[in-house]
Amino acid sequence: MNPYILAILLFGLGLGTTITFASSHWLLAWMGLEMNTLAIIPLMAQHHHPRAVEATTKYFLTQAAAAATLLFASITNAWLTGQWEIQQITHPLPTTMITLALALKIGLAPLHAWLPEVLQGLDLTTGLILSTWQKLAPFALILQIQPSNSTTLIILGLASTLIGGWGGLNQTQLRKILAYSSIAHLGWMILVLQFSPSITLLTLLTYFIMTFSTFLVFKLNKSTNINTLATSWAKAPALTALTPLILLSLGGLPPLTGFMPKWLILQELTKQGLAPTATLAALSALLSLYFYLRLSYAMALTISPNNLTGTTPWRLPSTQLTYPLATSTAMTICLLPLTPAISALLTP
Amino acid sequence: MVYIMFMFLFGLVLGLAAVASNPSPYFAALGLVAVAGMGCGVLVGHGGSFLSLVLFLIYLGGMLVVFAYSAALAAEPYPEGWGSWPVLGVMMAYMVGVCAAAGLFWGGWYEGAWVSADEFAEFSVFRGDIGGVALMYSVGGGVLVMGAWVLLLTLFVVLELTRGLSRGALRAV
Repeated sequence: MNPYILAILLFGLGLGTTITFASSHWLLAWMGLEMNTLAIIPLMAQHHHPRAVEATTKYFLTQAAAAATLLFASITNAWLTGQWEIQQITHPLPTTMITLALALKIGLAPLHAWLPEVLQGLDLTTGLILSTWQKLAPFALILQIQPSNSTTLIILGLASTLIGGWGGLNQTQLRKILAYSSIAHLGWMILVLQFSPSITLLTLLTYFIMTFSTFLVFKLNKSTNINTLATSWAKAPALTALTPLILLSLGGLPPLTGFMPKWLILQELTKQGLAPTATLAALSALLSLYFYLRLSYAMALTISPNNLTGTTPWRLPSTQLTYPLATSTAMTICLLPLTPAISALLTP
Repeated sequence: MVYIMFMFLFGLVLGLAAVASNPSPYFAALGLVAVAGMGCGVLVGHGGSFLSLVLFLIYLGGMLVVFAYSAALAAEPYPEGWGSWPVLGVMMAYMVGVCAAAGLFWGGWYEGAWVSADEFAEFSVFRGDIGGVALMYSVGGGVLVMGAWVLLLTLFVVLELTRGLSRGALRAV
């Protein structure tokens, strides 16, 4: 892509999120979200094959519908109460509409159907931007609204963890697996939103680090399905040995970083008297863990049958920067002892 | 006055159903024109005359015209309007739905101005919509700049999406 255009689009992406972060007026927040949607559209369609264009179209339609619902809800609130402040919405009707609009924006179940298909049509870098950066702006709004209906949020959360787990079980394409993993993690984030928004923020940030590592691992191996992943031991042996740890961190196993959000969320839910909800969420994490384990199995725990010439591929120097991957892998694996510091940092 | 407002609202809902009943883009654009025009009439009836004029000029006269041209470019050999059964069927379904909703919510007729106004005896009148535009160009300059930037971004996005003629993502028709 023309570097000037790329610069303008990336600037638009950054500006959109910044505007939503900095806004206290719903109209400005909506403008930031629309700017994000607009700026990523050409990035998604840059490889001009029909699958990418299909993914772009689906993304545009869902995000536009969500943004229109958001605008409608904020105007309804302005009509009913005269308030345009983001944090001052108390009427239940606009609050519920805004929650559902933002759920469609980030891909929470039952509004999740677009995410696997959109992510499947993109290359790994754009998919990474979609999974991480594009979630920041809606979450800034989600963290600020006062939720009115406790049941809605818990249903969104549990449905997302369950659908994220069950949906990912039958997948062999890595991008769809990551999409369902995203849905499951978003479910965990929403579960605890009404009790402790700082834990939601912590979950979001740890999810970012873990999924950043995973996307970059797949990008380094140039693999988009499990079969290609099975030959990564010959391309980057050290990384192949570390990737199961990254995947198990995504699955939420101690002593890895991914355990931190699940631990804090289960603790908070139990303290609030929602032990059955906590149990159901923990059990649904087992479903996600299964497909993370399957990826680890294919990558590092077995060597797939291959002919002799396939066992030593050309070890050409990779053009991809490995420093970000190294940093995020270290953070994905070793950050659990810093739990008190991180949760203190994120509590206002 | 009540009668003409009723006609405008009827035309609005009819145009709405016409767009939603999935005809060819020719007729859908016509439905959009009807909706926008009737909506402007409703706005006038509730006191927002300046807003209505601006909406007519910019939305109908600017954007909708461009959209209609684009829809005309994506020409179909056999366009489907209300003459074909699938479209007419959906249209009838929507009309039934509208009648059901009307029956449910019947009662009350809102007559009042949506535009606030402020007077200073005989010296000045400050209308909500015109005063708002003045404020947008003075105090709200930053948001105006941001709006202009977003429009420029949209231009670049569209140009990038349609780049490449027959080799690009969106092929020239």
